[in-house]
This record gives sequence, C-alpha cells and structure tokens, in this order.
Amino acid sequence: MLMPSTGPRTRAVRVRRQLPTSPWLFAAPGLLVIGAFILYPFVSTLVNAFTDRRTLIPGEFVGLANFRELLHDDMFWIGLRNSALYVLGVVPALVILPLLLALLVQKNIPGITFFRSAFYTPVVASIVVVGLIWVWLLDERGLVNSLLETIGVGRVGFLSDQWLLLMSAMAVTVWKGLGYYMIIYLAALANVPRELHEAAAVDGAGAVRRFVTVTVPAVRSTMALVGALSSVAAFKVFSEVYLMAGPSGGPAGEDTTLVMLVQRTGTGLTGRVGYASAISVVVFVVTVALMLLVLRADRRGES
Amino acid sequence: MPVSRRALVAAAVCLVLPLSACGSGGDDGGSTDASGKVEGDITFQTWNLRANFKPYFEGLIADFEKKYPGTKVKWVDQPAEGYADKISADAAGGTLPDVVNVSPDLVAPLAKAGLALDLDKAAGQYKKEYLEGAWASHQIPGMTGTYAFPWYLNTGPLFYNKSLFKKAGLDPDQPPKTYDELFADALQIAKNSDGEVSTLANVPTIEDFGRYGVELMNPAGTAFAFNDAKGVELLTKYKELYDAKALDPQALTATPESSGKKFLTEAVAMNPGSALDLGNFKKQAPNLYKNIGITDQITSTGHVNMYVMGVMVNAQTKKKPAAVAFAHYVTDAAHQMSFAKQVAIFPSTAGSLDDPYFTTEDGTDETRVRVAAAKSLKNAVNYTPVLFSEQMKTALRNEVAKALQGKESPKEALDNAVKACDTLLQRQG
Amino acid sequence: MTRVRRGELVLRYVLLIAVLALTVGPFLWQLSTSLKGPTEDIYSSPPTFLPQHPTLHNYERVSETIPVWDYAFNSLKVATANVVTNCVGAALAGYALARLRYRGRRVATLAFILAMLVPVEGIIIAQFTTMRELGLNNTLIGVVLPGCIGAMNVLLMRNAFLNLPYEIEEAAYVDGANVWQRFLRIAVPSVRGTLAVVAIFAFMGAWDDFLWPLIVLSDPSKFTLTIGLNYLHGTFANDERLVAAGTVIAVAPLIALFACLQRYFFRGVGEGAVKG
Repeated sequence: MLMPSTGPRTRAVRVRRQLPTSPWLFAAPGLLVIGAFILYPFVSTLVNAFTDRRTLIPGEFVGLANFRELLHDDMFWIGLRNSALYVLGVVPALVILPLLLALLVQKNIPGITFFRSAFYTPVVASIVVVGLIWVWLLDERGLVNSLLETIGVGRVGFLSDQWLLLMSAMAVTVWKGLGYYMIIYLAALANVPRELHEAAAVDGAGAVRRFVTVTVPAVRSTMALVGALSSVAAFKVFSEVYLMAGPSGGPAGEDTTLVMLVQRTGTGLTGRVGYASAISVVVFVVTVALMLLVLRADRRGES
Repeated sequence: MPVSRRALVAAAVCLVLPLSACGSGGDDGGSTDASGKVEGDITFQTWNLRANFKPYFEGLIADFEKKYPGTKVKWVDQPAEGYADKISADAAGGTLPDVVNVSPDLVAPLAKAGLALDLDKAAGQYKKEYLEGAWASHQIPGMTGTYAFPWYLNTGPLFYNKSLFKKAGLDPDQPPKTYDELFADALQIAKNSDGEVSTLANVPTIEDFGRYGVELMNPAGTAFAFNDAKGVELLTKYKELYDAKALDPQALTATPESSGKKFLTEAVAMNPGSALDLGNFKKQAPNLYKNIGITDQITSTGHVNMYVMGVMVNAQTKKKPAAVAFAHYVTDAAHQMSFAKQVAIFPSTAGSLDDPYFTTEDGTDETRVRVAAAKSLKNAVNYTPVLFSEQMKTALRNEVAKALQGKESPKEALDNAVKACDTLLQRQG
Repeated sequence: MTRVRRGELVLRYVLLIAVLALTVGPFLWQLSTSLKGPTEDIYSSPPTFLPQHPTLHNYERVSETIPVWDYAFNSLKVATANVVTNCVGAALAGYALARLRYRGRRVATLAFILAMLVPVEGIIIAQFTTMRELGLNNTLIGVVLPGCIGAMNVLLMRNAFLNLPYEIEEAAYVDGANVWQRFLRIAVPSVRGTLAVVAIFAFMGAWDDFLWPLIVLSDPSKFTLTIGLNYLHGTFANDERLVAAGTVIAVAPLIALFACLQRYFFRGVGEGAVKG
C-alpha cells in the first residue's frame, strides 16, 4: 500500500476513462487534517533545524551550525548506531517469523480462529501497557528470572546490561509486531494458488522445499512491503527502548535511539528545539531512504 | 516519482509564512505591581497531589474564595510523569496557569523567559514569613529577584536493613555515620554475602556530590566545577564499590522507584527515604519493617539535602493581585502547617518547625523520623543547582556510568560531564 | 492436501499452544498479579501463577484513587469520535486517491505518504501551538483532531478501493449513478472489512495515546484514562499489584472490542486491505 500505483490492476484503472467528479471534496478533509497537524508542524520543524530556537526563547537563524554540531556529538552517533542496529535486529525477524506464523494459522483446523485472534492480542494492547508488562516480566525478580532460576540457569540482568537491554527491547518489538505482520501475510497467502503447492507436493518436494520454492516467491512483494514498513518503524523506535531502558537510555546512555535523543534534547523547559529538529530531519531523511532502498531492491528482484 | 516541483514549493511557502514566533513575551508581562483588589478567576496548577489530597485542596480553595469574595479558583492537577512537558507546552503556547506548583529547576527557565513574577518586587512584604534558605531557593544565578513562594520541604533519613547488617557481621545498632564508615560497611556487606547484597542502589547524583562537599558551580553561577579533586575522590570511591558489587550492579539503570523496590525486597541494604516510606514498608514488606533501621543522612558538610517545592505566579496573569494573594495563601504558615499534618512533608515558613508537632516524640518511628528531619531541615541545603536541567542530569549520569564501567577514569568522566553541562548551560539559555 | 495427517496435526497444535503461551501469557501474568492479595509474595521463586487468595481489592483501590469511570468515559468519547472521523475521512480520501482522476492526485498521495513518515515525537510542541491558535487546547476536540484522519488509514482505504473490480462501478456509472451514489452504495459496502480494520486502529490509537492528551488537556475533568492511570504510577510506583490492575483496566476494553470485531477484521484483511 505504500507503493504508489504499481501492479497491473492499478495500471488498468489508469487507462480507463476518467470519471467526472468533485474529487477535491473527497480528499479535502484528510488533506486538511494532515496538512494542519502533521505537515505544517513538520515544516516548522524543518525551519527550526536551522535556528537555535529553545523552548521558551525564539531562535535565530544559525545556518548549518546544528548539523555541524551533530557530527561531533557522541550521543548522536550512539543514537544512529542503535537505531541502525534496531533495523538490523528487528527487520529480519519481522519479515520471517510472521510468515511462519501465518503458515501455521492458515490451515482451517478446529479452534484456529481463536488462535488467530489470540496471536493478535499484543498488537491491540497499547505500547505503554506492553512496556509495563515486560519490565515486570524481565525484572531481576520477575517471572522470567524466577523461571530461569528454577531451572538452574540463574538470574539474568535483562534490564541492566547495555546489549541485553537493546535485545530485550527488540524482542518486545518483535513480540508486539508478530500478529500485525502475520495478518498481512495471511492476506497474501490467501492469494497463492493452491495448485502450485499441490504440483510441488506431487513432485515430491518436502515442506521446507515447498516453502522456499513456492511460498517465498509467491509472497515476495509482501515480504518487501513488510520489510519497508518494519524498517521505517524500527528506525523510528522510541517507546520500547524508552520504557525499558529509562529516559536516560540505559547504562551510560548507550541504549539511546535517535528519536529518544530528539525527545531528550528537544523537550522540557530547557529543550533545544533547534538542535532536536536537526536530529528529526536526519531521522526523516534516513527513513525515506530506507523505504526507497527496500522498494528498489524489491523492484530489481522482480525484473 | 515526478511531483510537480512548483506545487511543492507553493505548498511549502504557504505553510511557512504564517509561522509565528511563539515563545516568550506578552505585552502585559512587564509590571510587577500586585496591589489592587483581589478578585477574578484564577487557575491553580499542582503536581500530582489530587490523588491523595483532594479534600485538603478543595477546602483550601473554598476558604480562600470565602475570604476574598469575587474570586474563583480553578484547581487543576497534573500527573507526575510529563509535568515538565506539560508546563513547557503551556509556557511556549502562552497558556500557563496563573499560579503554578513548581520546583526550583522548573522556575529557572520560566524566570529567564520572563514568565515568572519577581516576588521580591511584587510580594516582598511576605519574605520574612519564610525560612531564609527556603526563600532563597527560587533565586536564579545571574538574575536578581525571587521567582516563587517556597512551599513544602522534604528531607529524610537513611533507612537500613538491620538483618542484612547482622548477617554481614556488622552491629545493626551502629549504622554508618560518615562516608568512610559507609564505604567500609558497604564493602564488608558485599564481601560477606559474596556480592549478593549491595548497600547502595543508586549512582551518585549532583546532590550526592554536593553533600560530599564538592563545589558544584563557580561562585558566579556561570560554570560548573564538580570535577575538582573532591568530586573525583567521591566517584573513585563509588567505582570501588561498584567493582565490589557494594553498589548494586543494576544501579546504572536504576530509577528511584526501582531502587526503592530493591530495598523493599531486601536485595539492597540501605535506601534514602522519607517518613512517607515507613507506612509503605509496614504495608508491603512487614518482614522488612520489623528489621528497619533508621539513621541520619550522611553528609560531609554538616548540611543535609532537602527538596523544595514552590508556588510561582505567572508574570502574564491578568489577575495579578488575586494570583499573588492565592499563592501566598497556599504557602502561608497556617496552611503549610495543616498540609504538613496531612502528609509527611515540612513547612518552609519561619517558626513552623518549632511547633510541638515537629519537636515532640511519642515513641513511634513516625514521630522519631519526623522530629529528626525537622531538626535537620533548619540548616538543610537544596544542593541541586537551580540551573541544573534535565539534560544536564542525563549528561552527568551517563558520564558517571562510564567511569563506573571503567570506560573512562573518574577524572575524565567528570571533566566531560562538566564540559557537557557548561555547553548546555550556554546553549539552552 | 485437504486432509491433514495426524502427526502433523499434533505438531501444529503443539506449536500453536507454544506461541499462545508466548503471546497471551504475559497478559495473564499481569492479570494474576493484579488479583493477588497484599499478603502474597509476588516475587517468589518458583513463581506462583495463580493467586492463592484472589481479590478485587487492587481494583477497588485504583477506582478509589482516581475517578476511573469518568476518565474511561472521556476516553470512550475520544475513541468513538476518532473511529467515526477516521472511517469517514479515510474512506473519502482513500476513494479520491484510488478512484478519482484529477490534477494533483499524485501530490495528494505523496502528502499522505510523507505524513506517515514524519517522526511525531519531534513535532508535538508545534502541534500544540497550532491547536492553541485554533483555541482548541484543553478540549476533547483538540485531543481528537490531529489523529482524526490518519495518513496510514487513508492509504489502507486507498488500497482497498484499488482492489475492487472496476466493472461494478462502471456499470453503476452507466446507469447514471453520480459519484456520491457510487461511493456510498457500491464502493463503501464492498470494503466494510477494511473499515473494521481502520475502526480498530483508530480506537486503539485514541484509547492508548498518552503524551498528546497530556499536553492538550489541563482540566482534570477532561482527562482520559491513560493520563488518569498515570497517577497510579506516580502514587503507587512501589506496588506492582496496583500498577497491574491499572494496566488490566486500560487493556481489557481493547481486547473486548477486538474480540467482538475480529470476524470483520479478519475478513477485511482477507480483502487485501494491506496488500503490496
């Protein structure tokens, strides 16, 4: 859905005769809302990125000073590293695991609708609630550690080690996203002609081979879509890490992500709105680039 | 995607042009004259007090409205989290309430932006009603004036777990009194429990440096100075504790809540607290409550740390006389006293701490803690500099963590922290 | 292929139950914690999964501390409004993007895509300033407005409409139906499932939001549930049982709503609401 007009069907539509309408009336409410409350504030963020504006002090134009400062800001590089790691850690899991899950719940066996809905529950719960639940589960004396201790592994500092923290947050992101992307795959799998599978089965292909030779090619473009959606979301990650590692970003701030840095530098009474806006601009540019990258890779693979 | 560039440019221009330079400044912000008739509608904003003290504030407001017919006070209370975000949005948007519950670090940027009323000018006559130190806690280095009425104070003892002390071979009735004793005891507890029991659960914050006797800022208040020999000494000690697991290994990611929880679950042997916590221990950890030890805050300066809450008046309020009168009414001796009796906090008004309520013990732990705290408050200090912002706290915390992890020497870490805080001091204005 | 072999069936159920434990288990643990009495050790090892003395006491304390029902009612108002505006607005805009031809359609599509990529955390103060200029701060309308037609939802609807066979509308067009009639009588009924998806997203989004309502609202009588529940965290940070009860109160209505709508929801997805 992110791909503006690709695919044969859309093209067919475009060829068709134009229907005379009042199209702007249809689009106007939506455009007005996103214009006034998303794009307009964002444009002012773009402008702010070139000023030294602070929360309570209107800024002056400072040219590229904010961006130059970024280059020498260790925290910025830590943030960039963590946001990039987040993409690398989360995206493969969110492209593959939900597909496997979708295959698991695709077949109509008794009780399957219950399982499908149940798997979707983490998506429905709010991220704040999810954060509270997992912080409590992964607490040094929480359920997971109690279980680990019972089976003799001993307690693990999920929420105190820099890397374990980042990985725990990634696990929560994957946990919460599984159901969402599972649904997307279910929709795509519904369109895979059954004959393909049957033909492969007749040829003696095992389950793994059928998965690689039939399923994966058939849902390729969906995988690309999931890849694009999840990498954009992963790069902008805020809540999971903020809730689990705390506002200062884990030990020595080593778990800070870029959007956390935007929040930390730009908010509050002493916020450096200009500098935070410059970081926002970087986040925006990278997300756009990520999306184009994934979509281009998909297109190249297709041809 | 071939988007018409002209259309985009046009859209961008339309969007940018009406960008208003919102921020500080209104045209009626200049006057500090609060004389005149006390009347009109004002809004009073508190910070996380509704859940527990609704009847108290409703009564207070009703009394005020009765005393000054023609006034109407609207009370709004904000939750603990996001309070600074809420105030900054209101301040930037020009919707700050008339009377606002603040802490000194929130007052500083508001005063600099001309949003907090200078009470030396507008309400100087009330100054003598308050403890000198409390009144001074809302003064800002580099500015003249006082920008909030002092409200309640808080300080508290150090709680310790007697049974954990005993297990480590320490005398449970001889808690540490000095930093040296504290560090020695902590190391012994860690050693005798094979690193299972830590004594401290939090990394040192700016107030810890202050209490240790470190000079935090230069006298003019224009630059930070906590990277002196004394500061390095404290951090080096903490590093030693951290390596020995006498400082909790999870301290780097601890919050006051999480460390409180650790004390509650007897994973940590000591925790700073207030009289408020006693009830909590009794209810939630009866086992711990049986073994609770209470001792004084440790300080090298002779002054314990205190937290100060204030009530400021919006400099742009349309109802200046009523706002000032109400802010004073909330914080006057009688009302602070009755508030103190509702909850374990302490009044900042002169003489209130001499009330029998704060000087006589009846044998219970509650009164013992209260009396001791009230006594120590008379010369307590709010160590946290008013200019020390959230961002600076994070910078210090992160550098301290690097030193504890051994990624930087304590000296390097504090040098970096001071540098970062100085930069922020200049840039964030 | 239609008959599932027995061994495979067993394997499937084993896997399903394992995943079920992973996805739903954490919620049940939270529920169990919230039902445990003050005398029960919630930190025990090995853990006790079932409360030994189940009690609703924690829920009582939550509702004594904060006017949960008033806040829930405000949340309900906001969430309902958000569902209505999103369904209507996104359907209209999605239809315009998918079916109608006019100059500037690509720019309009691009605008929605860009809006989806904007990092919201960075623009919240600017949003508040806009809202204040409109005089809508401290109103529930102000809470609803910025998200009242989500870009994501518009793109979802656009996709749903794109996937409808064109011929049906063509026929209606030939019969002389105007664009509103075609939209209302033919297009919208065919994408009901996607509308259910949008409705759920909209409800969830509004019900969950914390920072924005906090910034916009000053008046406690207008607070939504998430802000209200935040009092719990500030006031009873040390009591996991109360925090757990609060989270259960926050999440239960969403799960209930989803359980009711899930049939439409999964059908909507089947319609290709989110296909590439």
